[in-house]
Amino acid sequence: MKAFDLAFFGLTALLVLLGGIGTVAAKNPIRGAMGLLMAIVGIAGMYLQLSAEFLAAIQIIVYAGAVVVLFLFVIMLLGPQATTSAGAAGTKVSRYFGAGVFLLSAIGAMSLLWRTRSELAALPKLSPQHGTIEGIGRELFTAHVVPFELSGALLLVAVVGAIAVARGKQVDPTLAAKAKAPAEAAGGGDAGHGAHAKEAG
Amino acid sequence: MEVLHHQFPANDFALLAIVLLLPAIGAFVNGIFGKRLGKSAVRLMALSAIGGAFLASLLTFLLLPHDGGRLSWLAWRWMSVNGQSGNLVPIDVKFSVDAMSATMMLVVTGVGFLIHLYSSEYMKDDPGYHRFFCYLNLFCFAMLVLITADNLPVLFVGWEGVGMCSYLLIGFWFGEEKNASAGKKAFIVNRIGDFGLIVAMCLLIYYCGNLSWDGIEKTSLGLLTPVKVWPIGNLSRETLPSFLGAILIPDKPVQVYAATLVALALFLGCAGKSAQIPLYVWLPDAMAGPTPVSALIHAATMVTAGVYLVARMHMVFVLSPAAMAVVAVIGVCTALLAASIGLFQHDLKKVLAYSTVSQLGFMFIGVGVGAFAAGFFHVFTHAFFKACLFLGAGSVIHAMHARIHDTDKSQDMRNMGGLKRYMPITRWTFFISCCSIAGLPLTAGFWSKDEILWSAFSAHVANPAAAVTARMAPYEWPSWLGQAIYWGAVLAATMTSFYMFRAYFMTFHGPFRGWTIVRGWKDPHAGHGHDDHGHDHDREESDKPLEGPEPHESPLPMTIPLVVLAAFAAFAGFLNAHPIHIAPLGHLLEPVFEGAGRFITEREGAKGMMWTMMAPGFAAFLAGTAAAMYVYLNRAGQPERQFAARAGWFYRLVYDKWRIDELYDATVVGMVDALADIFTMADKWLIDGVLARLTALLTALIGTLLRTLQTGRVQVYAAVMLVGLAGVGWFMAVPHAEVAMDDTSLRATGEVKLSAAPGYGYTFRWDGLAATDSQLTDRASVVVRLAPGEKKDVKVSVKNAFGLESVETVSLTRPGLPPGAKAPEAPRVPGMVRPDIPTGEIPADEIHKLLLPRGADQAGEKGEQK
Amino acid sequence: MSTVPVEYFLIVAAVLFVIGAVGFLLRRNLLVLLMSIELMLNSVNLTLVAYNRIHAANHAGQNLAFFVIAVAAAEAAVGLAIVLAFFRVRKTIHSDEANLLKN
Repeated sequence: MKAFDLAFFGLTALLVLLGGIGTVAAKNPIRGAMGLLMAIVGIAGMYLQLSAEFLAAIQIIVYAGAVVVLFLFVIMLLGPQATTSAGAAGTKVSRYFGAGVFLLSAIGAMSLLWRTRSELAALPKLSPQHGTIEGIGRELFTAHVVPFELSGALLLVAVVGAIAVARGKQVDPTLAAKAKAPAEAAGGGDAGHGAHAKEAG
Repeated sequence: MEVLHHQFPANDFALLAIVLLLPAIGAFVNGIFGKRLGKSAVRLMALSAIGGAFLASLLTFLLLPHDGGRLSWLAWRWMSVNGQSGNLVPIDVKFSVDAMSATMMLVVTGVGFLIHLYSSEYMKDDPGYHRFFCYLNLFCFAMLVLITADNLPVLFVGWEGVGMCSYLLIGFWFGEEKNASAGKKAFIVNRIGDFGLIVAMCLLIYYCGNLSWDGIEKTSLGLLTPVKVWPIGNLSRETLPSFLGAILIPDKPVQVYAATLVALALFLGCAGKSAQIPLYVWLPDAMAGPTPVSALIHAATMVTAGVYLVARMHMVFVLSPAAMAVVAVIGVCTALLAASIGLFQHDLKKVLAYSTVSQLGFMFIGVGVGAFAAGFFHVFTHAFFKACLFLGAGSVIHAMHARIHDTDKSQDMRNMGGLKRYMPITRWTFFISCCSIAGLPLTAGFWSKDEILWSAFSAHVANPAAAVTARMAPYEWPSWLGQAIYWGAVLAATMTSFYMFRAYFMTFHGPFRGWTIVRGWKDPHAGHGHDDHGHDHDREESDKPLEGPEPHESPLPMTIPLVVLAAFAAFAGFLNAHPIHIAPLGHLLEPVFEGAGRFITEREGAKGMMWTMMAPGFAAFLAGTAAAMYVYLNRAGQPERQFAARAGWFYRLVYDKWRIDELYDATVVGMVDALADIFTMADKWLIDGVLARLTALLTALIGTLLRTLQTGRVQVYAAVMLVGLAGVGWFMAVPHAEVAMDDTSLRATGEVKLSAAPGYGYTFRWDGLAATDSQLTDRASVVVRLAPGEKKDVKVSVKNAFGLESVETVSLTRPGLPPGAKAPEAPRVPGMVRPDIPTGEIPADEIHKLLLPRGADQAGEKGEQK
Repeated sequence: MSTVPVEYFLIVAAVLFVIGAVGFLLRRNLLVLLMSIELMLNSVNLTLVAYNRIHAANHAGQNLAFFVIAVAAAEAAVGLAIVLAFFRVRKTIHSDEANLLKN
């Protein structure tokens, strides 16, 4: 293992993990999106180390260029309401329990993996085309052409669906009724506030 | 013909499918789409369906083999049940036709077509037009299934189908309480009979191991098994209190032949369907349905299914002279009782209904004395003249409806009279059918009834049991029974001709009594809806005599069937006129009843008396007709009124049908009601009060518990999913040591094959064998050899790719002692140590028990004690 | 060509997956939930590519990762549209408010 390789790996791993933790832990979703960007760039670096140059490029273009930007757009659109305070703790126990169980089992799985890492095959010599546009494209348009076309159709449907959902002209009456109740409660509070202000005046 | 024979071979006669499916399709189309199709399309569908079925039946009849064989068609295999000694009794959806069923098919589809044609006019203004034809077609389908069935279960399907259609059509105008309850009555009374049929099927499976006609015929001698019917089970004087035992338990157990049981159970079914004592009460009430229904179902076809079944199962009935006697006696009693009730009824349809019951009694006399062909021939002729009579009555009622809209009044013969001037076709066809049913010589009814009478007088039913087995004293008919039945039938025939001509004279002769006929009369309420009429007329009638136009003859679609049926009623008798030796139908039917003929012989002393014994039958016709003519034509019903005034109570008793319905209400129905009350209480307090509440409580409790999990928040569901994922991951990561044992040759050679369940990356190590594996191998199964009496523990360790290990231990024992050894001492394998069984594993003893064949462990213990 | 063994990448991917999963469970901001999902998808992609590095006869892992990226993009678009629609109705993007199933 060359020192440079290890250093590069360490750098990307640091990016990925810090970015991941930042994504999840940030109060402000803009910071979260930045963390996501960091993790994505780190993963792109890892793809480079794993000889997946084409995927590294795609990763940057699609995730950093499109998905994260889309997140940012939505955050901007929502404005200050994109940040939520901690709500009722009714489901706290089950959520922490689920997270705890999963965390433990994940640690167990990782230790198993580490113990038996010698079973993994050694790094083989790669062909020059491995991970390049040519190498992937050849398979994508021969063996996997049907899933490829289908993923195109999926994206089209997703675009249409996203527009249909986000435009939201027709609001379900039950949803509207539900929304009214908290709004009225808020309105009552405002009225009280107003009265208070008048008194003060 | 050759082409058709080739196209439809006798053992795969698919033409039957067409006969069956056409009415089914008609019913389906009319039932589902009839409302939207409109009346003309419904009529076309119904008529073409049944007409097509008639043509196909005709073709079937022509293709019948001349040697008495069957045409059969297997639709599909249905199921099979276990018979007495474990042999399978196949029950297939199979249809077959012989001479009898082919004739019956022709009657059903032919008369059915005529009645469909008639109904298309008769029911013209009914809002339920499509429903009516749907039911009618469905009925034809079910009836054809009944007739063409090749075994009892398929016949039973048709049997229930016609019962259901009968129910639907009796209650066709279900808006009125009376009609709906008449339908229910028919249905429930028929259920009693169906119970008998089911019992008969079970008995046949047990004693014959067969349910198809050919099969029953072949194995029918199995029915000559004596069966102990009382005391049942292990009931005996020892198990009962002494006084009860002395009364209930006879010295010798009561034994009957299985044939008698089967035949009586079958006859219970037939009595229900064919309205015999004691189950006849539903048929007169069934006249609540539309008149064409009465003609088709309750006169011509369905009610004769019972006779058909007895004739079909003749191979069972001839084995039991006792059951035959029951059939014949019930038949003659029914004929007499129904005829006597018919004497004084005023309702035209009621008269015809009781005459139907009475004629069905005649048919049962025929099959009861072993003259199956004669009984069946009466079914055949009866279909024509009774259908014609009913349709004629319908035609009259149709005419009466011009001014009298009340159902009861429009059918009352006291409101009719003198219709011969206005309805000539109806009158003449009615007259011909009357002559036929009353037995005017040379008409159809004469030939069939005469043959039944002659058979009753002459036949001797031999007991085949006497020839086959001497295990039980055989039952023989007393010598007077045949003659008693004969004279009873003659009396019933006299009454028949009396009440039929009474109906004829009251309806068509004398002055018209319905309303005052005014020439050129116009309906003052023409603008009103049809429904209002009833009220208006009721009011009018009370203050001034009803006025109206001349009664009109019915339109062509109603008169054509009348004419055709009357022609058959007059001349169909020549198909089986034995006395003058013209009997094509009789010859056709001969092979069908060949097997039964062996047991029916001519009584001594009856020889050569055929022409003599025709005289009483003819005299019955003359006496009845003359009496009716005198009373109702010459004296205009005066004597009847005098009789009613003088012997009022008797007249009323007969008029009220001998109050049999009231008797049933007081006894059977009352008992069932009381039982129902008890069950209602139990249901209310026990089921609803305790059980239902407990169940509801339990459900609510569990629901409350489970509801806490259903927070409706997506992240909680995700948490549960992740926990599940962890569980699945655990299952995948851990190896599973499971050992399957094959110990089939353990007792013989002492070899047991152990095989461990495979998995990805598994390696195995076997301990406890002769040579213990030193390291992991991929050997997944081993063979262990045990000496007799030896006990061995085999341990297998399984390791997977993750390096996790799991252990399973099996303990093996071979029963028996090692040869030559005195004390059992387990030979030890060097180095073998019995491993400690980890908790949670199956204990060795348990496996030991599982390994041994049943009873082997005791044997092993005994061996050790030696 | 890098000489770092594959298991290093696998461990990083596993840790990233755990971070995403725990984030998904514990956070209540719908946007953060969507981002957590993206993290998990990325970790899976990383695993696929890493295994493709040692089973390098073809590009099965990388092709699959490619399709996962396509699906993830679609998912992000539709998911954000749903968040917007939800926000329009409830005036919040708090995930506990999405409880119509409960009532």
